[in-house]
Amino acid sequence: MRALWEYLWGVLSGAWSLAAGMGVTLRYMLQPVATVQYPRQRLPLPEAFRGPIRLRAFPDGHHCVACGECWRTCPSGVIKVQGLKAQAKDHNRARYFFIDFSRCSLCGLCVEVCPQQALAFSREYETVGPSRYLGVKDLIAALEQEEVVP
Amino acid sequence: MTGWLHDTWQWLLAVFGPVALALVVGLVAVLVWVQVNALFLVWLERKVAAHIQLRIGPKEVGPFGLLQTVVDGIKLVSKELITPRPANWVLFVLSPLLVFTPVLLPFLVLPFAPSLPLRDLNVGLMLIFAFSGLNVLAILMGGWASNNKYALLGAIRSVAQNVAYEIPLLLSAMSVVIMAGSLRLGDIVAAQEGMWFVVYQPVAAILYLVGATAETNRAPFDIPEAESELVAGFHTEYSGMRFGLFFLAEYTNMFVVASVAITLFFGGWRGPFLPGVWWFLLKVYLLIFVVMWVRWTFPRLRFDQLMNFAWKYMIPIALLNLLVTALVMKLVG
Amino acid sequence: MLRKTLIHDTFYLNLGPQHPSTHGVLRLLLRLEGERVVECQPVIGYSHRGHEHMAQNRSWLQFLPNTSRMDYLSALLYNHAYCLAVERACGITVPPRAEYIRVICAELNRIASHLLWFGAYLLDLGAFTPFLYAFDDREDILAILGEVTGSRLTYCYCRFGGVARDLNQAFLDGVRAFIPKLRRRLKDYHTLVSKNVIFLNRTKGIGVMSPEQARDYAVTGPNLRASGVNYDVRKAEPYSVYPELDFEVPLGEHGDCYDRYYVRLLEMEQSLRIVEQALERLPSGPIRAAGVEQEPAPPPGAYHFAYESARGQLGIYLVSDGGRIPVRMKWRVPSFSNLSVLPELLAGTLVADTIAILGSLDLVIPEIDR
Repeated sequence: MRALWEYLWGVLSGAWSLAAGMGVTLRYMLQPVATVQYPRQRLPLPEAFRGPIRLRAFPDGHHCVACGECWRTCPSGVIKVQGLKAQAKDHNRARYFFIDFSRCSLCGLCVEVCPQQALAFSREYETVGPSRYLGVKDLIAALEQEEVVP
Repeated sequence: MTGWLHDTWQWLLAVFGPVALALVVGLVAVLVWVQVNALFLVWLERKVAAHIQLRIGPKEVGPFGLLQTVVDGIKLVSKELITPRPANWVLFVLSPLLVFTPVLLPFLVLPFAPSLPLRDLNVGLMLIFAFSGLNVLAILMGGWASNNKYALLGAIRSVAQNVAYEIPLLLSAMSVVIMAGSLRLGDIVAAQEGMWFVVYQPVAAILYLVGATAETNRAPFDIPEAESELVAGFHTEYSGMRFGLFFLAEYTNMFVVASVAITLFFGGWRGPFLPGVWWFLLKVYLLIFVVMWVRWTFPRLRFDQLMNFAWKYMIPIALLNLLVTALVMKLVG
Repeated sequence: MLRKTLIHDTFYLNLGPQHPSTHGVLRLLLRLEGERVVECQPVIGYSHRGHEHMAQNRSWLQFLPNTSRMDYLSALLYNHAYCLAVERACGITVPPRAEYIRVICAELNRIASHLLWFGAYLLDLGAFTPFLYAFDDREDILAILGEVTGSRLTYCYCRFGGVARDLNQAFLDGVRAFIPKLRRRLKDYHTLVSKNVIFLNRTKGIGVMSPEQARDYAVTGPNLRASGVNYDVRKAEPYSVYPELDFEVPLGEHGDCYDRYYVRLLEMEQSLRIVEQALERLPSGPIRAAGVEQEPAPPPGAYHFAYESARGQLGIYLVSDGGRIPVRMKWRVPSFSNLSVLPELLAGTLVADTIAILGSLDLVIPEIDR
């Protein structure tokens, strides 16, 4: 008798647990969806978002002095920077600044290490391309499209 | 031009007779219906799943993504049919055809409306169960012929599962047959004039639905194609439209099984205001919705637990139910 | 004779490296008798990237991004662990605010890791829906962490002597809204999954790991605690600000799959408590220790540091000669030891249980392969 009771109890409690589960999914079905339809809707980027690095644009151009600190710090050896002096005894200024974004891990060490604070993260996130060579970015050339920070 | 068409029609009518012609027209109608129904069900399944999971589901192709499944079907048709080299070619090719044929035949007797069954056979219910039993043969053939370990495991499981679950399915249907006193589906619907059988036979109805879910290999009984264990189970090696046929058969099978459930327990085409066929379809799709809802809620049973469940719970309860029904009918009738 | 061989024929099944349930590139060589597993042999190394060797070729600081790529599901925990190890070796004291921020982020990351495990485990067992609910919750955490770390998965947020960026209002608001939301969700998970009779049948009494077995194989983390052994590095060898925070270590009784599942769900609740307390006590002050060199180097010697990652005890063994570049860096990852017990648990189970047990161990394969 006891066994029969346990058998029936097992059937009923099991059925109840299944019904409760179905109640949960029904409730969720009536909730608004949680997804964002990506190409049509976009979420705002977080404040700290890390995109490929860029040179910050100032009224007098960029502030990079081509000291090479970022180049040495970069764990992946992504950065190449070369400076040029306009004339003897002048400040060194970066003439060439390339990164290979396809190997960048966005750790942010270069941005932090920069003594001139010339680097910043961009807010670009659609960085997919058909070729790995498209990952190579010329930051000096990209500087022209930057908004100037007064 | 029309004269010629008319002549041909007259000639066909004279040679084959009205019955044969009705069957041809009916077969074409059924084939079209099967396709449309499967496309709609796949769409419905994806939408139901999506909304349960806080998503939207297909929305790009057509209004509400309705044409998404059509596009998917075109993709399937255009894909290459791959036959693995170690596979048994004959059985491998035959299996999808065999799985698809038996699911068509029940449409012969399904009573969509009082006048709509193509042939109102007096053993309609038996015919449906007989043909749904063929399904398992096709799955076994496909799984074995693929010469793939996962497919073989899926096929083995499928056979054991189908054999186990056909018994409670039949037993629960039997108790309805005892009440209606006929195997003809039309008579069964007619017997539910006053009250649906689900009221008299709630246990049988639940057993039938559980058994039907297992019979159609749907979650939580989708052991033969358990994705996380057996990759894709018996149809692991199938591609293109061969896979598409398995898919089509699964969804059509769902429709057949739900239609039988509606006929047996939920009053068939009966309902106020609307014509019978609309009530029938409405009920069927509501039932299919419930089956989908179940699928997207529960985890999968383990294989031996599934067998335990069939032999230790469903079959005894179904037998008991049948016994009680027979006794009560004897006493009352 | 033929009959005998047919009946007793065993066959080999390659589960993975490409299989829906091995979560990455683990390969299990199973010897089956019908559906019963006779023997299991895990094969690893498919995603070996040589992180330990990489460490010997770059400076202490440059190894930071690597840490988050070993266990990509709890990247911030690894980040935190590495920074703590090097800081302890160098004798750097971290300002309390930075340490609290780290703990908040680490615990959020631990919740995210457990949530992903929860979802993936249910997916292994055939339930698709909880997977997406868990991902919805995890998405909230990723968005919150993205507010300060700037990344979503492979964080590089901790620095020697502090963190890279201070918390902002969006982060604080996000966390405060998230905690009650997850509590509600956990209640739903218990109704939907923990009490579900199918789930109970699939996991109760499956893959039982005795405490002795767990100790023998050096299993750690929730897997060990599910066997009833009270060992959590956060309590046993407290580090960071954990001694100041009030939390419990959930324990299991039987060491089966269900206990491993339940311990993780309870741990999420405890992590929420830690985050709540840490937010309350969050001191003000600097987020970077003053006077720390950009590239500190530990004085010559060998150091070991233990950390409780989402999967168990993470051991970092550092050897320094005082130079810029580590001489040797050995990572003792929890998943490796947790995997080692698998063959013993699997012997004699069914294929379906194989998946349930494998999933319950919460292995992250890139962490094993490093």
